Amino acid sequence: MINITYLIVQIIVVIAIAPLVNGIIKKIKALSQKRKGAPILQLYYDLYKLLKKDTVVSDTTSWIFKAAPYIVFTSSLVAAMLVPVTTMLDPIWLAGDLILMVYLLALGRFFMMLAGLDAASTFGGMGASREAMISSLIEPSILVSLITVGLTAGSTSSYQIMEYMKYVDTPLIRPVYFMAFIALFIVTIAETARIPVDDPSTHLELTMVHEAMLLEYSGRGLALMELGASIKQLTFITLLANIFIPHDQLILISGVGAVVLSVLIYVIKIVFISILIAVAEVSTVKLRLFSIPNIAALAFILSFIGFMQYFVLGR
Amino acid sequence: MSLRDLNAKIEAGFLKFIKNSKILNGNELYIEINQDNIPELGVYLNIDLGCSLVSLFATDEREFNHYRLYYSFAERQSGSLIILTSVVDQNSSTFMSISTTVHAAARYEQEIHDLFGLIPIGHPNLKRLVLHGNWPEDNFPLRKDFPLSHKPQTVDCISEFTKIKGEGVFEIPVGPVHAGIIEPGHFRFSVAGEPIFNLEAQLYFVHKGIEKLCEGNNPEKCYYISERISGDETIANSLAYCQAIEKIAGINIPEKAEYIRVLFAELERMTSHFGDLAGICIDVAYGFAGSQFNMLRAWSYGMATQLCGMRFLRSVNRLGGVRKDFISGKEKSLLEQLNKIQKELEDTVDIIINSSMFNDRIENTGILDTKIAFDLNAVGPAARASGIANDMRKQFPYAAYPKLKFKVPVYTDGDVNSRMKVKIKEVFESINLMRQVIENMPAGKDFERLGPLHPHKEAFGITESPRGENVHWVMTDNNGNIFRYKIRTPSFCNWPALCYAVAGNIVPDFPLINKSFNLSYAGNDL
Repeated sequence: MINITYLIVQIIVVIAIAPLVNGIIKKIKALSQKRKGAPILQLYYDLYKLLKKDTVVSDTTSWIFKAAPYIVFTSSLVAAMLVPVTTMLDPIWLAGDLILMVYLLALGRFFMMLAGLDAASTFGGMGASREAMISSLIEPSILVSLITVGLTAGSTSSYQIMEYMKYVDTPLIRPVYFMAFIALFIVTIAETARIPVDDPSTHLELTMVHEAMLLEYSGRGLALMELGASIKQLTFITLLANIFIPHDQLILISGVGAVVLSVLIYVIKIVFISILIAVAEVSTVKLRLFSIPNIAALAFILSFIGFMQYFVLGR
Repeated sequence: MSLRDLNAKIEAGFLKFIKNSKILNGNELYIEINQDNIPELGVYLNIDLGCSLVSLFATDEREFNHYRLYYSFAERQSGSLIILTSVVDQNSSTFMSISTTVHAAARYEQEIHDLFGLIPIGHPNLKRLVLHGNWPEDNFPLRKDFPLSHKPQTVDCISEFTKIKGEGVFEIPVGPVHAGIIEPGHFRFSVAGEPIFNLEAQLYFVHKGIEKLCEGNNPEKCYYISERISGDETIANSLAYCQAIEKIAGINIPEKAEYIRVLFAELERMTSHFGDLAGICIDVAYGFAGSQFNMLRAWSYGMATQLCGMRFLRSVNRLGGVRKDFISGKEKSLLEQLNKIQKELEDTVDIIINSSMFNDRIENTGILDTKIAFDLNAVGPAARASGIANDMRKQFPYAAYPKLKFKVPVYTDGDVNSRMKVKIKEVFESINLMRQVIENMPAGKDFERLGPLHPHKEAFGITESPRGENVHWVMTDNNGNIFRYKIRTPSFCNWPALCYAVAGNIVPDFPLINKSFNLSYAGNDL
């Protein structure tokens, strides 16, 4: 019974909050440019509008093009199920761990790249090849930083890591966690196609990475791709928020009230990390494509130092 | 060296070629020679004397049984033009190509080939330029017997681009319709992965027939057409036209009008440069700086609205001067706005020059080699960023520029950074010039009235637009109307330079390089 409740809470919270993150980031960027900016809920309106629209599919595409949005959306959502928004509820299964999450997201990305190539348009292939380059560079940092945290907790299950982290006193002042946090933050920026790796608001097809793969999509397919991308983004932010800034230890009550309170605090943390990402975006400039390995190397070195420190300093 | 000395020098070496020579309008030396001798004398002027080819055009003079070609070379030290003219037989319709030695001539010869049907013999790459393959082969719009209302049939065709062969070499077609609200142009990249080997730009999707439209019309009406050549170069183009007509009419405009013209020309330059700077910043996702420059641009538009009620500065000039005294009573407010713009610009520039990530993007990106810039006669900020200190305001002084103090900023790296710095410096110079104009505004009339124009007169009008030198040439017909109006905008010279600057860079840097040149599509395709 409790597992079904977990599932319901998790799905509702993830789908409801994910587009909000984009809204907050866009709003802060607009404010930094002395603009009013779009409403914070704009992505919800966009998704609603897109879901009502017809889809246009190129004659030259295969089944991959039509299947990709569903695969991308589903893999993101299942990956999000593995990262609990609150530890007040037991998750559905303990078998699925962070490594599964990473590769579920990779599955979605793989199909997104195939779909980009499938329409044989000018820009899809460019976007796919750049995405392949960036993701292969950034993947080691994700794994090393998550495994470092997993080593301290003695598990790779995100629920158990979060349970463990509740009892670590202010994790972010400890070098192991601090290094892993910064590495994972850079990973989040790279994985969610944000400045300085990609520019989500550009109209210049020749410079695009993530957007270039979506250029051929319209209507429902585009809505699913967009929602899938924002769920993936939320999954990474949830990892940052719930592993490194645990909050459930502060809630002393139990029952339904505790879950509601826990989710509310979670939302506040998400807003806080969204602001951090927006600040990172505002204060940087898009890197030259061939400089992206540098930032990927930085993330990897940070995560690796964290990893080594675990052996030197212990927890 | 004065024009007479130059003439003597040319006569000393090439007297046997010269059929006839005359000096018009003070600084235009027309030398008539035989078509066969054009290559020799052209190379002498371009290579030995270092005069750049600033325009090359044809006129249809078949009432005298020939076409005539005009090769205009600019002698920049003395501010004079040397124009070689030669007739082309109407039956053979062929002329000698000079583009293998005078490289800047290549595009002009293609243009003449498309529009007049004259064949440049020995041209290295005679593909169609202005008219695409879907235009029938035997329709030549600038011939006098081609009626303006004629709509030729569309022909089926396949566009041909330079093929680069090799393992892993791909072609990327981009455009003519782009994602942003920009003008149409097709770019064909040959790439191996991200690095670009070759870029071929197919432009001319917006041919409007401006030159044809002017023929036979009265000079007053053509003034309005000249304002509409390129939306953001209204003053530069209409000023060049007015100067040509004023030379033909033989009048001097009032000093006050000269000052007002400078003010508007500099306001236009400032507005345009702010747009370019904003574009450069936005292309590298530097949102903060981008919106700062866009804000400054909006302030400049605000000044334009306050001065003449029109952001695009139309109907400010008129033949013989300016339409009215736009400045009086607004001096204080203008100076305040200029101070505000200068302060905000200084603050913004201080922030962006210290951004190391931004500098990393713009340094060494899109380098235009000085030699290439000279050979193609690249103009404006693009040339000045590659170490070529050409500025028509200094070299062919017009309006009130000789009476005002300003510097011409020059950088030598030729990259996006240099072009950006040139533009920033130029904005400061423009603000400075506008201040001088407001403070030294003379009293007097706003314009001088023009009588009817003399028949069969010709003159050049040259200005420095925000994008670079702007060369217009007007010839009147039997009734004093326009016989031929040749417009050469800076974009025409700089498009080939852009293609050279892009080679060797990576695909995602192309939009940035393109923006740093900021060329006009409409202003290129008349």
